[in-house]
Amino acid sequence: MGGPKPTRVSNRIRELRADRELTQADIASRLGVTRQTIIAIEQGRYSPSLEMAFQIAHELKVPLDQVFQYRASQDQGDDAN
Amino acid sequence: MTDDEAHVPMTGEEKTAWVYGTVVLLTSGTYFAYMGTQLAQRPAEDIDWAIPMLITIGASIAGVIVGTIVSAIGGAVWTGIRGRFEEPDFTKDERDLAIKRLADRRSFAFLSLAMAGTLALAMLDVDTFWIGNWVFLAGTVGAIVEVTTKVRAYRRGV
Repeated sequence: MGGPKPTRVSNRIRELRADRELTQADIASRLGVTRQTIIAIEQGRYSPSLEMAFQIAHELKVPLDQVFQYRASQDQGDDAN
Repeated sequence: MTDDEAHVPMTGEEKTAWVYGTVVLLTSGTYFAYMGTQLAQRPAEDIDWAIPMLITIGASIAGVIVGTIVSAIGGAVWTGIRGRFEEPDFTKDERDLAIKRLADRRSFAFLSLAMAGTLALAMLDVDTFWIGNWVFLAGTVGAIVEVTTKVRAYRRGV
């Protein structure tokens, strides 16, 4: 079995949680999901639904695009550099 | 409050998938081993397979129920012994549903193919032993496909 399957959506949940002193369990209980789901999202192993993405941003008190970033492709990222 | 460094237990759904896979392997494995010994002794048409199959199905259902309860209690006792008791979490969220949909889709695709084999056996007018056992084997492999897909998705991502 290889490493985790990457998604093109990256996020700053861990960093934003740390700023607000929130644990994975805190966010999970506020959203009614398992802590494992929050871990999977933070590690890029699961892309949440749009609704959950908005809920996470709401709990972290920032706009959605400050939490999640979409990387269209590696080539486009390289072109930008 | 659970901090981020705390042990991350399996979700209830992942634990159930493991229990289901283990029980299916044990019960169906025993059934097919028994049928193998019967086939070595007598022709297929003389083998009574319906009762052993029904017993296997019943044992699988009972095994999953008992296994799920035992794993929940055992998990709580084990974490308690190690001084980090965690209440069993039976929350089912959108990730669980996404993983279930993926596993169901793959299992259904496999079973659809297997059903073509069943039709072929019926058209060839083979003994009901082979048709019944082919369907049961397809169900067993379909269950293993479902469990493998779930466990892989929980570990590697959806």
